This record gives sequence, C-alpha cells and structure tokens, in this order.
Amino acid sequence: MYKVEGKKTDNGLECKLSGRVDSTNAPQVEEELNALIGGEEGQAVTVNMEDLEYISSAGLRVLLHLKKTCPDLKITDVNSEVYEILDMTGFTQIMTVEKGYRVVSVEGCEEIGRGANGTIYRIDQDNVVKVYNNADALKDIQHEREVARTALVLGVPTAISYDVVKVGDSYGSVFELLNARSFSKILADEPEKMDWCVNEFVKMLKIIHATLVPEGKLPDMYDTVYGWVTFMRDYLPQEASDKLIALIDAVPRDNHMIHGDYHIKNLELQGDEVLLIDMDTLAVGYPIFELGSMYNALIGFSEYDHENIKSFLGIDFETGKTFWHKTLAAYLGTVNEEKIREVEDKARIIGYTRMIRRSIRRKGLESERGKAEIELWTKELVELLKETDTLLFSRNELEIEAEVKNWDRVLAFINEHLEEANCPPKAEAQIALAAEEIFVNIANYAYRPEVGNATVRVEVMDNPVAVELTFMDQGKPYDPLKRDDPDITLPAEEREIGGLGIFLVKQTMDDVSYEYKDGRNILRLKKNLE
Amino acid sequence: MLNITKNLDAGALNVALEGRLDTTTAPELEESLKESFEGVQDLTIDLEKLEYISSAGLRVLLFAQKTMNKQGTMKVVKASDTIMEIFEVTGFSDILTIE
Repeated sequence: MYKVEGKKTDNGLECKLSGRVDSTNAPQVEEELNALIGGEEGQAVTVNMEDLEYISSAGLRVLLHLKKTCPDLKITDVNSEVYEILDMTGFTQIMTVEKGYRVVSVEGCEEIGRGANGTIYRIDQDNVVKVYNNADALKDIQHEREVARTALVLGVPTAISYDVVKVGDSYGSVFELLNARSFSKILADEPEKMDWCVNEFVKMLKIIHATLVPEGKLPDMYDTVYGWVTFMRDYLPQEASDKLIALIDAVPRDNHMIHGDYHIKNLELQGDEVLLIDMDTLAVGYPIFELGSMYNALIGFSEYDHENIKSFLGIDFETGKTFWHKTLAAYLGTVNEEKIREVEDKARIIGYTRMIRRSIRRKGLESERGKAEIELWTKELVELLKETDTLLFSRNELEIEAEVKNWDRVLAFINEHLEEANCPPKAEAQIALAAEEIFVNIANYAYRPEVGNATVRVEVMDNPVAVELTFMDQGKPYDPLKRDDPDITLPAEEREIGGLGIFLVKQTMDDVSYEYKDGRNILRLKKNLE
Repeated sequence: MLNITKNLDAGALNVALEGRLDTTTAPELEESLKESFEGVQDLTIDLEKLEYISSAGLRVLLFAQKTMNKQGTMKVVKASDTIMEIFEVTGFSDILTIE
C-alpha cells in the first residue's frame, strides 16, 4: 500500500509519500513521481514523509534518481523509524532530510520559567518543555543542546534535552525535570526561605563564574556587549557614548563562563539538588556582564512599572530588591554598603544599556510607555557614566564584622580561593592556622569594647606559585609581630599560651609583614606553594 | 565542627576527637574535659580523626596536661603528620607524651 500525491506551488513541487515503499511498488512510485515533475528537471521538490511507514532499498533508489533529476530536493517530516533508515544508509548526508516531530500541547500547562528566547512549561510530572519564541527555532535548539552539554561536562549541574517536539507553530525541547520547583516559586510560596535561596543562588553563580571554558566553545559576551554600546551611539549624548565605549574597551577578555540570563526562574530545586536551566544564552566573559542582566531581571526591568516583576518572576518589587542586594553582598563577600553600591552601579551601566537597546529595537520609541521607560533608563545611565571610571571589580576581598563567631565564614572564603589555586592540603592547614590567629586577634583586641569590620584579601600569585593573605582593620594600631617569641623549651607548668599563635604564624608562613597606614592595621602573610 | 567521643573505664578516660579543633570548637572541648576530669588517672587523647588544630586547640591541650600533671598521666595518640608538625614547631612535642 502506498500513495503519491503532489501539487505545484510557488516554492516548487510539493509531494507527499505515504504507506510503504518497497521492491513491489518502487517502479510505480517512480513513475508517478516523474509524472508529477512533468519533465521540469531542476525544479525544487519537497517530499513530505509524515505518513510514510517504511522504505526499502528499492525505495531509496527512487529517492536517489529523484535527487539526480532535481538536485534541490528536500525530505520533510520523516518519522523516527524511516529517519533511522535514511541515516544509516547515509542519505541524510546526500540530501536535506528534516525529521518529523512529536506534537505537544502546552495549553493549560503550568509556566515554570521564562527566558529571553522561550518559555518553559511543565507537561507532566517528570517532563518540561521549553517552547521557543522563534518559529524557526531548530538552530537555536541545536545550539542550546550543545552549550548545555558543554556546561555539564565542565561541571555545571544542568538538565539536557532528550527530544525535540512541535508545539503549535513553534518548536520545543523536552527535558526531564522530576518534581522540580523554581526558586521563583519557592520565594513566592515560602518567603522565609529568602536567605537559603540567596545562599544557593550565589553558590551556583560562583560555580558558573569559576568555570574555565576551552576557547571557542561558547560565544564571547564581550563582542555582544560591544555591539550594544556601538548601537547606543545614536541614542546617547556624545560624551556619554564615548565614555561607555571607553569603559567597555577596558574590560578584559575572560574565558570564564557566564549564564547570560541568570535569575530565579532559571534555577530549579530537584530533590536536594539545584539545577541551572535555560542555557541558550551561555557565554564566556567578565562577570560584570552577568551582574548587569541580573540587575535587570530583579530590578531594572521593573523600575518604571513595579508590577512587571510580578508577571515575570512571581515576586513583588521589594522582594526583588532585597534578593538582589543580599545576592550581591554574598557574591562580593562584603558587608560594606559602599562597595556593594559601587559594583551595583557598574552592573546598572551594563543593565540599562542592554534594556534601552532592546526596547528601541522592539519599537519602544513608538509607544508612550516605551518612551517613558527609555527616558528613565537613559537619564540614569548618563548620570552613572559621569561617576564611573571602570567596570572592573574584585571578588577576592571579604569584609566582615570582626567577631570570633564569623571565623568559619572567613575560613570558607579563604578555602574557596585556595581550591582555585590547587593548594596542597598541608599548606592549606598552615594557612588556615595562620589566618585564624590573625583574625581572632583582630576580633578580640582591635576594636574592644566596640565591634568593627575586618577585611581579608586573598591573592594567588603564579610565578612562583604563592598565596598572599592581607588582613586589614581600622582598630587600635597594633603590631602583633613585635611580641617576643615564647620560650618553647619550658615545661608545661611554666608555659604560657600567650604569643604562641603569632609564633606559629611566623614559623609556618614564608613572609609576614605589618604596617599601619591611613588609619588601618595591615598585616600580610605570604606562603609559597612550590 | 568537632565531635568529641568520651569513654571512661575505671579511671582511664579516652577522648577521641573528630573534625577541627579551632577557635570555634576549642571551648567545647575545654568544657567537656572539665566535666570529666574528676577521678581520672589516665587520660588518652585520640587524634586519629582530627584534621586541624590551631593555637586555641593547643591551649586546651596545655590546660589538660597541666591538670593531669597533678592527678595522673596524659598521652596523645595517632596524630597526623600535619598536626605532629605543629606540635614540633611549638615545642609541644616536648611537653606532651605523644605516641
């Protein structure tokens, strides 16, 4: 049983081949196809195989002849069995073959995520589908699968799509996501989990930003941002535009990963595992680019109309602001509001640039509301550009209340950097020991009886490999290195513990120095790792 | 994090430490020892699972040694290389009985 149908269209001949094509009917199929072509060799031919169940080698020969007569041949809507035959025989390399896709409806399905290029729906308990906005999305889907695989291989926990489906006029990719909940939902349902969410959100962000990507595997965000600022030339005062371009010029190329659209709908909790989704914007670049788009999602996008964030992320404007502030503080490792503000301003420059351009390209200037938004963002951007001299910032400093109970956080911060430097365990223990002595000293004496902050900076140097820790406080001037070394030969009864800590620091570190400068105690410890 | 496991058997107290003995956890050990000193003649401190010791931890060991000097004996067993090195640098290897 077979059927050959066909009609001429503006795009050439469109045929449909149904049933089974094998040695018993292949000659008839070829004859009927030739009749449809009607001697017009070289015309474009599309063969829809939606209802073709089987094709044997005799049938394949028919396709081969067809390809000879009409080189512009396209096979579409092939089911997976037939696709396998075409693929195994190498036909997918000879002609254009497009798979047919399972049809899925998302009507009435819960929306669990939304990104720049698509919306994610849960289609059943175990599966979600990401529907792309772009009707011609197959390339995008392929891209997202590839970058998600790259991310997974590099150690970033994410879900990888296992099927491509047709959803209405568009395409979707299907992922397994068992009983997962997005952070946006957790925050909306259980506001008391704010701090836990911030902590996990920042942990994942740090994993992403610590991931070094082999060259060429992901697009470079720098080029994208450069495109934005070039676009902005026509919409900003000359001086502001020049400054913006100069700021981007000075941002270094960076091969660490950035997500590109990092917000609370793109982080999912599955069991006790946190997964990153919506990977199509994955890129490499300097992290201020990431902070810019995070600012937009949590604040910028709703700055003009505070209701925006509710439909987008399911939380209110104030919650978004708090979440952003806590996230930024934890990411930077500081309680210093001035420093947080400084980095926030840098992020806003990227954020406003991106939003203004996006809105203008979507004809924002043609509506009242769009104009008002663009005006507000532009005003803020121009102000920020006047005050900002660099988009660079550092993450290797922790500023924290100098209290003994905070020692664990200081240690975690130091260890994070030591891990990046592949520090051997013994040196790690010695550095922890030295750092503890110094931090506890500051906590116990520097501000007594008041409380103040201590700043810890970790620098990893690579020629020769060494770690330098700097402790700074604004307490009473005190040089701990001046203390006399304890007599370590005395028996227990005569031993005093005082001074032993500093003695240990001197013994285990390769270089220790103290200075009092600009009202600050500055103590440096250096440990060679080679 | 520090786990303290105590075992008392006819005047012999065995204290096994697991985790980190530092500024945050040293006070717990000091408290725990103070509660148990009475009647103890032999104190053994097992460091097999101790990963780290800071001067706050050394201070507690010194305090334990001074206490036991008055009422019996004390020994420290199964210290790792890293911890042994700290004992040596600080001269604690001469004060403590280390096995």
